Amino acid sequence: MDTDLSFEHLVRDHQAMVFRTLLRLTGSREHVDDLAQDVFLRLYRALPSFRGEALITTYLYRIAVNVAQDEWKRRRREDRSHVSLSDETSCWEERLEHPDRNAEQQIEEREFQQTVEEQLLLLSQIERTVLVLYHQEERTYEEIAHVLSLPIGTVRTHLHRGRKKLREAILERQNNERRASCETNR
Amino acid sequence: MRDEPLSNWDQTAMKTDQMDQLDQRLIHALEIAPEPRVPTDFAARVASLLPARRPVSLTPTYYGRYAMIASMVILLAALLLLAPHTTDRSAFGLTLQWLLCAQFIGLAVWLSARRHGES
Repeated sequence: MDTDLSFEHLVRDHQAMVFRTLLRLTGSREHVDDLAQDVFLRLYRALPSFRGEALITTYLYRIAVNVAQDEWKRRRREDRSHVSLSDETSCWEERLEHPDRNAEQQIEEREFQQTVEEQLLLLSQIERTVLVLYHQEERTYEEIAHVLSLPIGTVRTHLHRGRKKLREAILERQNNERRASCETNR
Repeated sequence: MRDEPLSNWDQTAMKTDQMDQLDQRLIHALEIAPEPRVPTDFAARVASLLPARRPVSLTPTYYGRYAMIASMVILLAALLLLAPHTTDRSAFGLTLQWLLCAQFIGLAVWLSARRHGES
C-alpha cells in the first residue's frame, strides 16, 4: 500500500514532463494519456532492476523515447495519418500572445511556430528526439547521449543536422509562399 | 547614395543577418514547450493499475523450535553416552559433562519460556 502511494507521488512529480515530451515526440494529443500510462507502468516494472546509477528522470526519458518509437511504428503499421498538434484546438500556441505585440506579429509568430511543428515531424525520429530533449527539455549532450545510448559526438551531429534541415525547410517554404504571393499580385 | 545598388558585401551581410534572425526564431520556437492537459486523477489511475504484489505468507513456521528440540535430544544422548565414563573423574570429562548439562538446561528453560509466552 505504501509502495503504491509513493509511486503515485512519483507519477505526480514527473507526469507533466512525460506528457509534454510525448506530445512533441509523437506530434499528437491523441492517445497521449495511454502512452504516458504505459511509460509509468514500464517504469514500475523496471524499478526492481533500477540500480540508482542514473537519475529517475533520465530513466523516464529513456522509457518515454522508447514508448514514442513504439507509437511511430504502430502508426506506420496502421498507415494512418496522424493529427498534427496545430490541427487541434490546442491552447499552447496561444502562449505566444503578448499584449505589447500587434495582431499581425502574433499571427506571424503563430504561423512560424506551426511551420516548425510540422517540419519537426518530418525529421527522422532520432533527430526529432535530440532536438526535443536539447531545446525543449534542456538536457545536456551527456544526458541525451545516456538516454539514447549514443556517443556524444553523434548526438551533436544529429542536433546540428536536425536544425539545418529545419532551417532549410522553413526557408524553402517561405520562398515558395513569397513566390506564390508575387504571382497572385500580378 | 540612396539609389546605389547594393554591393556583394552588403548582400552577403544582409543574408547572414537574416539567417541569424531565422536561427534565433527557430530556437525560440523549439524552446516553447507544449502545455499538456494532464487529467487530475492521472496519478491515482496509474497507481490503481499497478500489478498486485505477491501476497506475503502468514503461515507461521517452527523451524527454530524443531532445531532446538533436535539439539536437546542430541545433547541428552551425548550426556547419557558420557555418563559411564565419569567414574574416572578426569578434569576434562567433568568439564565437558558440566558444559553439556548447562546447555541442556539452557535450552529447556528457553523452550518452556517460549511456550509460556505463546499461551
